[in-house]
Amino acid sequence: MARIGVFVCQCGNNIAAEVRTAEVAEKLKDVPGVVHAEDARFYCSNPGQEQIRKMIKEHNLDGLIVSACSPHMHEKTFRKAAETAGLNPFRVEIANIREHCSWVHHDPTKDLGTEKAGDIARMMVERVKRDRPLSKIKIPVTKRALVIGGGVAGIQAALDIADGGREVVLVEREPSIGGHMAQLSETFPTMDCSQCILTPKMVEAYQHPNIRLVTYAEVEKVDGYIGNFTVTIRKKAKSIVEENCTECGECIDKCPIKATSQFEMGMTKRKAMYIPFPQAVPGVPVIDRNACPKYVKDMSKCGLCAKVCGPQCIDFDQQDTFETVNVGAIVVATGYDVMPAENFPEFSGGKSKDVITGLHFERLASASGPTGGEIKRPSDGKVPETVVFIECSGSRDERRGVSYCSAICCMYSAKHAMLYKHKAHHGQAYIFYMDIRCGGKRYEEFHRRAVEQEGAIYLRGRVSRVYPRDGRLVVQGADTLVGSQVEIEADMVVLATAVVPRLGSKDLAQRLGIGYDQYGFYNEYHPKLKPVETVTGGIFLSGACIGPMDVPTAVAQGSAVAAKVLGLFSNDEMAREPIVAEVNRTTCNACWDCLVACPYKAIEREAIKNRQGEVLRYVARVNEGVCMGCGVCVAACHSKTIDLKGYSDAQVYAALAAV
Amino acid sequence: METKAQATEPAAQESVQAAVQKKTAVKIVAFVCNWCTYAGADLAGTSRMQYRPNVRVVRLTCTGRIDPLFLIKAFENGADGVIVSGCHPGDCHYVAGNYHARRRWVFFKSLLDFVGIDERRVFFSWVSASEANKWAKLVDEAVETVTGLGPYTQYKMLTDTRRAWEPEMPWSEAWAPGIPEGVPLPEPTPLDLAVRAKAKEILETGKAKVVIGYAWAKRQRRAVPVFVADPAETDSLIFNALCVNNLTNYLTRHAKDVKALGRPAVFVKGCDARNLVVLQQESQVRREDVTVIGVPCNGVVYRPETWQGHLTPETLSPKCAGCEVREPRNCDETVVGEVHPLPAEGMSPIDSKIAEMDAQPSQVRWNFWMEQFDRCIKCYACRQVCPLCYCERCITEKNQPQWIDTSAHPEGNLSWNLIRAIHLAGRCTFCGECDRACPVNIPLNLINRKLGLVAKEAYGYAAGMDPGSLPPMIVFKPDDKENFIR
Ligand SMILES: Cc1cc2nc3c(=O)[nH]c(=O)nc-3n(C[C@H](O)[C@H](O)[C@H](O)COP(=O)(O)OP(=O)(O)OC[C@H]3O[C@@H](n4cnc5c(N)ncnc54)[C@H](O)[C@@H]3O)c2cc1C
Ligand code: SF4
Ligand code: SF4
Ligand code: SF4
Ligand code: SF4
Repeated sequence: MARIGVFVCQCGNNIAAEVRTAEVAEKLKDVPGVVHAEDARFYCSNPGQEQIRKMIKEHNLDGLIVSACSPHMHEKTFRKAAETAGLNPFRVEIANIREHCSWVHHDPTKDLGTEKAGDIARMMVERVKRDRPLSKIKIPVTKRALVIGGGVAGIQAALDIADGGREVVLVEREPSIGGHMAQLSETFPTMDCSQCILTPKMVEAYQHPNIRLVTYAEVEKVDGYIGNFTVTIRKKAKSIVEENCTECGECIDKCPIKATSQFEMGMTKRKAMYIPFPQAVPGVPVIDRNACPKYVKDMSKCGLCAKVCGPQCIDFDQQDTFETVNVGAIVVATGYDVMPAENFPEFSGGKSKDVITGLHFERLASASGPTGGEIKRPSDGKVPETVVFIECSGSRDERRGVSYCSAICCMYSAKHAMLYKHKAHHGQAYIFYMDIRCGGKRYEEFHRRAVEQEGAIYLRGRVSRVYPRDGRLVVQGADTLVGSQVEIEADMVVLATAVVPRLGSKDLAQRLGIGYDQYGFYNEYHPKLKPVETVTGGIFLSGACIGPMDVPTAVAQGSAVAAKVLGLFSNDEMAREPIVAEVNRTTCNACWDCLVACPYKAIEREAIKNRQGEVLRYVARVNEGVCMGCGVCVAACHSKTIDLKGYSDAQVYAALAAV
Repeated sequence: METKAQATEPAAQESVQAAVQKKTAVKIVAFVCNWCTYAGADLAGTSRMQYRPNVRVVRLTCTGRIDPLFLIKAFENGADGVIVSGCHPGDCHYVAGNYHARRRWVFFKSLLDFVGIDERRVFFSWVSASEANKWAKLVDEAVETVTGLGPYTQYKMLTDTRRAWEPEMPWSEAWAPGIPEGVPLPEPTPLDLAVRAKAKEILETGKAKVVIGYAWAKRQRRAVPVFVADPAETDSLIFNALCVNNLTNYLTRHAKDVKALGRPAVFVKGCDARNLVVLQQESQVRREDVTVIGVPCNGVVYRPETWQGHLTPETLSPKCAGCEVREPRNCDETVVGEVHPLPAEGMSPIDSKIAEMDAQPSQVRWNFWMEQFDRCIKCYACRQVCPLCYCERCITEKNQPQWIDTSAHPEGNLSWNLIRAIHLAGRCTFCGECDRACPVNIPLNLINRKLGLVAKEAYGYAAGMDPGSLPPMIVFKPDDKENFIR
């Protein structure tokens, strides 16, 4: 027979105002299996917990109910208290008589609350009777991390993890790390040169003994679970034997073929043999197989690069290769894209070369960019006399783009206006905006500077149309503060286009088994309290793959994630909640309904063999490291062969019988 | 929902207390997920919202954990209404649990409705952790609606009255099928000869060691399953409208015995072949381990005792009207034979019966099914003949917890028939074996077919057609329809 104790909390007056707690306790004593019941003012207080511990010992309790606030508040507290008194923590259940009872029903006679509180406690008593003592699951941890994406967020995470003494494999899709920050000219709000602050970090990551860079590569497949992932990386063929390359750049000089530079936003050309930008890390070039005549013209002539390469490291026949790494944690830092100008035909985007995005402007303003840092418009290289910046291009506008705010455009548009003013002294900047959102530290001051010192003209309102006229661009819009239509003749128009998820972000999410929102930004475990974790154990997020953000936040997240990873790596084994599914091997049909339904691929086929090693049959097996305990499999299994610990069918039935 | 201020007004107080005092207060059981709806209900508390007290919450990990059968258990335990609620699509704490739940609910809801359990007593909803308001409103609405409908006496009567079972059908006669006295055994038809030749060829060429087919029974004149291993004995094989059995059943339930005889070849009609596809999808039969011989079929008899030597529209099994697979698919070998074109008439009798029942008030359906299920003797013949009821241990044999009352009494009979129906939803191929085998003539095919129609309407899925697909209850699409969820 069970020996259950019931502790009915008054929660000061929070519960006692509606529930006669002493009466509930008294009545619960009649329930078979309950050997002790009492009430008190605050069980969550230290004396309250002490009283519970005392009663556990005195009555030799083997299960307990605390009738109090929501289990989301104090389940952990009471389970811990019970544990220190020698009771298995999973033999403790909470009857929620505050949030679900005293706070939501009012009856001056207290009859109503008392009756309902009693019912709730009775249901939990039946449930706890069938609670099996469980113990935490121990999982070994591989103390090596994988970081996907080498933007500033990924670099920061990798550096901090590596400095913490753990190995990191940093996988970057492009030939170089750096991400978007490498494209930026100067950065708000301090206006330091982006390359100058980023390049040292890139080099540090490259040279760090604990970091291995794998560039021009993507994650192909992810198996396993927290502490024990096996990741297959596809290394795209660089057509170069990387180990032998001295990064001398001779081959690039000799390459006669030109191709569009994505890094320069298509505003200039690079070679078919290329590094994306001069400070690229690593400096090993790759051959663009869409441009090199060796490939597009079916292995025809050229091969000049191979002739000049001293160490002879050019390999035209190189194939993609695959590498498997074992890691204990994965950091996703794949960043963002911006909506292309082509999405805005009404602004002549894609039609006029002088309608560009903010990233184009960054390159124009950058000393290492196609214009050497002078603001010249792309169509004819003329220095524009008037530039119109259109904020919220596609942001906060479900119809034309996305409903969310891209968070950084107000700031970078102010920055652009300033940069423009510094570089073209007679120029005039106009900025169309919906609202100015400059919430960061020193951000508002920065914006005021653009208005007050740099003379940028801010117009509140939306632009309806941009069209070319006599070599200039006519911007038609509304100034809602003045309440009139405005028409501005500009030489260049810069669209602050919406920050959007990376192309293929959903694909990667599915490979990793993490959630994403309707747009494709990755979901945090909890947006406030677990901002860099995902619901899948061992997989973390950092940077703009979560949503639009500025560099300081991306860097902070990189460091935050590193703390999480190092925390995970601080023990040889990790313990986790034992709420997992379990299979009754004798009745399993091997129909694999559970396996198909499980959202975490936590179910495996286990072969049952005889002594000779022949396979007799297969049964389902739950990988306790992967199982998150949702119970989807339990409801899928016809023969009730699989059950969920802590929320078993028997427990649910028992609770229902007590309703 | 009321605010606290309103609740303390005398009128509001009175109604709540009146309800408590009168023992007529309805009871609502709410199955909710831990992360969204439970937290939403917590927030309702933190925000001191006021709602009706009649709800008892069962906290589960996820809506995906909610077995549809929990709802039946709730009714059996005296619930007058049930709420099922979890995270909004896309918000599931476990990524996809609610998507799975949503599909299960579609089938289960249709099933409940079809047997006449009043839909208005079941509330499906998505309530997020921030929708305290919605939770309070949901509970109030549920309590009001169910109070309006009154306590669920209909179900409670089932539980309370353990009626003595009285057979109403001449069920013993159903067990004596065969060709009536005086009708001579037919001469071998060209189809019989073709079947024999095929079986012989398969045994002689070693494609299989044993052929599972049909032959005339020794004494009674009816078709029975036979196992033929000797090519010389293939002369006993036949195929005609009396060959009702679904022989694929031998590949699961009797797999061990069959295996002992060597590699099997099995004769299948179109509907039987569909079962094999499901068995293949569910890894119960390895397709490469069996030779499947398709026979063209122009329909079989419903009640063999009505057989007059040839098939007439009156003796044709209702499952065969409107059959789309007279020529079986997914076979290794086929026997060549004539297939008559389908009669051009509209709906099959089963489908028109379903349409007729759907149009009736739910009370009429309830009465119909209670009358039917009342006769069930829990012989489990339906399960035994079903190739898809291959479970090592059926849920009926699980007693920790006891899912189904083992005795043949109305409450347990209802839950047994609901459970089997939901287990076959989206899998049943309408071979009609359960319907045929039921000694008390419960029209089980009606229910199975109904859920088959749901699968088709909701997910464009027909069971047993495509070995590469998966049954609709174990997969989902994020944009599955959900117009029934509040
Ligand atoms: C016009 C403009 C101006 C800006 N100006 C400023 C400013 O002045 N100050 C400021 O604080 N912020 C500014 N920002 C914001 C800043 O760019 C971002 O905050 C920052 O770049 C985010 O870094 P990240 O590492 O998260 O993403 P990213 O920089 O996007 O880096 C992601 C990296 O992951 C790689 N990757 C992507 N997918 C994969 C994959 N599947 N596998 C492997 N690798 C992958 C990418 O190649 C890239 O290297 C500006 C943004 C824009 C658009
Ligand atoms: S669903 Fe049940 S019977 Fe089927 S494989 Fe999973 S545990 Fe076994
Ligand atoms: S409980 Fe959920 S996560 Fe665990 S095995 Fe079952 S379906 Fe997978
Ligand atoms: S009724 Fe359900 S549990 Fe029983 S054998 Fe059929 S499918 Fe399996
Ligand atoms: S065959 Fe008929 S009587 Fe037997 S268990 Fe099935 S439904 Fe009940």
